[in-house]
Amino acid sequence: MDHQIYILVIEDELEVMDALIKDLEEFEQTFPIESANNAEEAEQVVKSIADSGDEIGLILCDHVLPGKNGVEFLIELESDKKFGHARKVLVTGQAGLEDTIQAINKAHLDHYIAKPWNMEEFQKVVIDQLTGFVIEKKYNPMEFMAVLDSVRLAEALRGSKLTDH
Amino acid sequence: MKLNNTQRIGLFAGIIGLIIPFFLNIPGLSEAGHVALGIFFLAAAFWMFEPFPIYATSMLVIFLQVLLLSKEGLIFTSPDATYSPDSYTAFVGTLANPIIILFLGGFVLADAAVKYNLDKNLTRILLHPFGSKPKYILLGLMVVTGLLSAFMSNTATTAMMMTVILPIIARLKKTDPLKIGLALSIPFAANIGGIATPIGTPPNAVVIGALSQQGINIPFGEWMILAVPLVIVALIFAWMLLLGMFKPETDSIQIDMSGSFNTSKNALILYIAFGLTVLFWITESFHGIKSAIIALIPVVFLTLTGVVTKDDIRKLPWEVLWLVAGGISLGISMKSTGLAEWIVGSIEWSAFGAITLLFVFSAVAIVMSNFLSNTVTATLLIPLAVSLATSGVAGDGFNLIIVSLVIGVSASMAMMLPISTPPNAIAMSTGTIETKQMAKAGISVGLFGLILVVVYAIFYWPLFLN
Repeated sequence: MDHQIYILVIEDELEVMDALIKDLEEFEQTFPIESANNAEEAEQVVKSIADSGDEIGLILCDHVLPGKNGVEFLIELESDKKFGHARKVLVTGQAGLEDTIQAINKAHLDHYIAKPWNMEEFQKVVIDQLTGFVIEKKYNPMEFMAVLDSVRLAEALRGSKLTDH
Repeated sequence: MKLNNTQRIGLFAGIIGLIIPFFLNIPGLSEAGHVALGIFFLAAAFWMFEPFPIYATSMLVIFLQVLLLSKEGLIFTSPDATYSPDSYTAFVGTLANPIIILFLGGFVLADAAVKYNLDKNLTRILLHPFGSKPKYILLGLMVVTGLLSAFMSNTATTAMMMTVILPIIARLKKTDPLKIGLALSIPFAANIGGIATPIGTPPNAVVIGALSQQGINIPFGEWMILAVPLVIVALIFAWMLLLGMFKPETDSIQIDMSGSFNTSKNALILYIAFGLTVLFWITESFHGIKSAIIALIPVVFLTLTGVVTKDDIRKLPWEVLWLVAGGISLGISMKSTGLAEWIVGSIEWSAFGAITLLFVFSAVAIVMSNFLSNTVTATLLIPLAVSLATSGVAGDGFNLIIVSLVIGVSASMAMMLPISTPPNAIAMSTGTIETKQMAKAGISVGLFGLILVVVYAIFYWPLFLN
């Protein structure tokens, strides 16, 4: 890869943030993690990632945040050409039906994780989403087989017309 | 485009290599031979260090030969005593060489097979008789991989088989060595299986292309008679090696490949085309229709019926055809300018016996192709071997066809490193194996392959070639 694919975590409660980052540990080598405590900070992070030519593969976002809420942030990001493809996951206990509908319809939310989460299921969601992302972006599946869903990636590899040389 | 240091060295070495012969006067080498030597240096440096993709270098090789060595080029417009230049059509014409057309047919078939899941369904059926004992499952996987990679690319076969073995690996205990054995069995079997038919893997094409320019045609079936017995022995060795090195802990494996054959009209047309083409290929010696002509059956039949669409055709691996054509093309000028003969003449070959020479060619090919593309290895070595054999300096025991086969087969015996072949790289990327495990097993297969090739070259191949 000539650039990094980040995981962006947005969460205002420090303990929850720590728990999320701990559960993301095994991905960090391949997908560096950036964290933000609120939507405004997240916008800064997004901007600096864009400036360095990198991209975001997955956003794990809390809904209730000080200032702009998570769903609003995701909707705004959806219209961003460079980051519209990023997989978007709400990790929350308090998004009401209306907000959730907004997130699905306007931000193309990819998944909803209810707090408290179970680590195994959480990691499965992360793997599924990132696998979908790298396949959709047509990145070389081989670079991700060791960390993500290797069977799906092998299937993608099979469809990618590999040749001997 | 950003080049790393190795690539920069390669770029520099290639350009210098191209220029230097223009300023030298090498005794015994024609003027055209100097130019060909420059192109050879450039091709070798670019192919080895890859400042550009290897197919791009092949395109450049064809272009440079047209520009600098053809009758219509800049330098040699009329024949003289030392060189009668080929028309540029000889160089660009390599793109329509029969072996290229044969490969094209193979590509169309393989591509359609993947599209309609024939590869996976065949695997499911063929694995069935191997039961559930790890030992026999491993054998089954290797046999099926070898068989498929004889007709599809080794790399595509490996990618497909990974979708079969990864779920098995995921269910095994973390510490079970069988995981490593499984992950290595697929690329090894694919590399070896590619040897079995002319269309199995591009180095075979380089061999057949080079021989065809000497007026020697190797029918599809005859190649198989020569290669298949060697492939079987190598596969069995690799199987036993992996079983011994990575003893399975579990005593039973379930393969849950569900699915059924696609029975749409298009799929049925594909099955028929596939079966007929392979049947006619392997019986070439009986009916005498050349395999390249038979290769047009799937091309024509599958496109007329719409089984293979315009999009499918666009997505064929055309760069592989350029790669092989570039290699064949380089061989043309090395021969016609007297370069190959000069290189051969500069070494005192008669000091070695024919057997030593076969051994050396095989060893060099295996070592080179562990680090370089297998096709490039074959391309760089074949012109030397051909000149050596045709000039007669190496003695009577040094048969042209045999030495060419030695090089072609040996190029496929390299599987020591992740970079040795694309199938190795795929297996490595699963994260199941460590490089040193691959190296240990790969070196053993390489050494066995070396001995095997030489033994076949001395005792078996001559039975059919004299």
